[in-house]
Amino acid sequence: MQEILILKIVVRFVIPFIQVYGFYVITAGHLSPGGGFAGGTIVAASMVLYALTFDAHQGLEKLSHERASIFESLGAIWYVGLGFLGVLVGGNFLTNGQIGIPLGTPGQLISGGLIPLLSFGIGIKVAVTVVSLYYSLVEED
Amino acid sequence: MAILDILILSILVLCALAAVRTRDLLGAVIIYAAYSLLMAIIWLQLGAPDVAITEAALGAGVTTILMIATISKTGRYE
Amino acid sequence: MAEALVALGQNYFFYYALILFMVGFYTTLSHSNLLKKIIGINIMETSIFLFFVALGYVEGGQAPILGRGAEGGPFMNPLPSALILTGIVVAVSITAFALALMVKLYSFYGTLDADEIVMLRGEKE
Repeated sequence: MQEILILKIVVRFVIPFIQVYGFYVITAGHLSPGGGFAGGTIVAASMVLYALTFDAHQGLEKLSHERASIFESLGAIWYVGLGFLGVLVGGNFLTNGQIGIPLGTPGQLISGGLIPLLSFGIGIKVAVTVVSLYYSLVEED
Repeated sequence: MAILDILILSILVLCALAAVRTRDLLGAVIIYAAYSLLMAIIWLQLGAPDVAITEAALGAGVTTILMIATISKTGRYE
Repeated sequence: MAEALVALGQNYFFYYALILFMVGFYTTLSHSNLLKKIIGINIMETSIFLFFVALGYVEGGQAPILGRGAEGGPFMNPLPSALILTGIVVAVSITAFALALMVKLYSFYGTLDADEIVMLRGEKE
């Protein structure tokens, strides 16, 4: 594989902007279109772009399979744990406003109670899952 | 608005036919990515921006990446 | 009569969804390459999604987002788009699974042509 200098420099410059946009889509998921799934996919696309431009081994060093499984489990546990918060107090699974979580004014960034925290967990899980999907597809066995 | 919709939908059908007729698999996948991006514009015209942002991230991003990974593991031509 | 023709002409999204479904169906049936079959299945899926979202289209309506745009005006129906969001995720999962199966088939048979794979299987048995 030949070395393409322009591609590497442009990708190095562009990746932070893609990641900032992905995290914006995750954090503003309860105000505008988007949310955990779309934002997580955008973040994952930036990491796959890194692995495509440089080497797959180099990308795998940054996010190995063990680390990926840890992050995936953390995302799922985060979601389920926040869901069981309502059960502990006496409400239903994923109860939001009725158990005293402040909801804030609609339209502002800090509002909606549990929903931004939940979409943060979804974003982490989706990003890591898509990246490990790509690695397991291109890996030589 | 209707003229723009019909124009984009016609290009969409052309993209689908081109992706089907191309013998080069890599070219077909790239044309399919263009098809997905045009589809995202259609979702925006239909008033479904959440579907549009998901289609642009998933259809044009992840599906293309996975198909290119598959082509790199297998052959490029039919 | 003229009113009926105008009403038929306004439903152009449905006609294009039908054309795209036919193109995808033709691809899936006529091509023997497996990647082309997957592209055909994806085109069929997007045509179905187009049909569903076009059902929720309201003439002159706005996207139903709280706090953005005019309040109280006519809005698009958000129910089909909420359903289709799940459908897109399922479509991508199916595509990823099919591609993984394709890589396995290629490492076993050395080809991605469905007809050749059927012939090779016939020779083995």
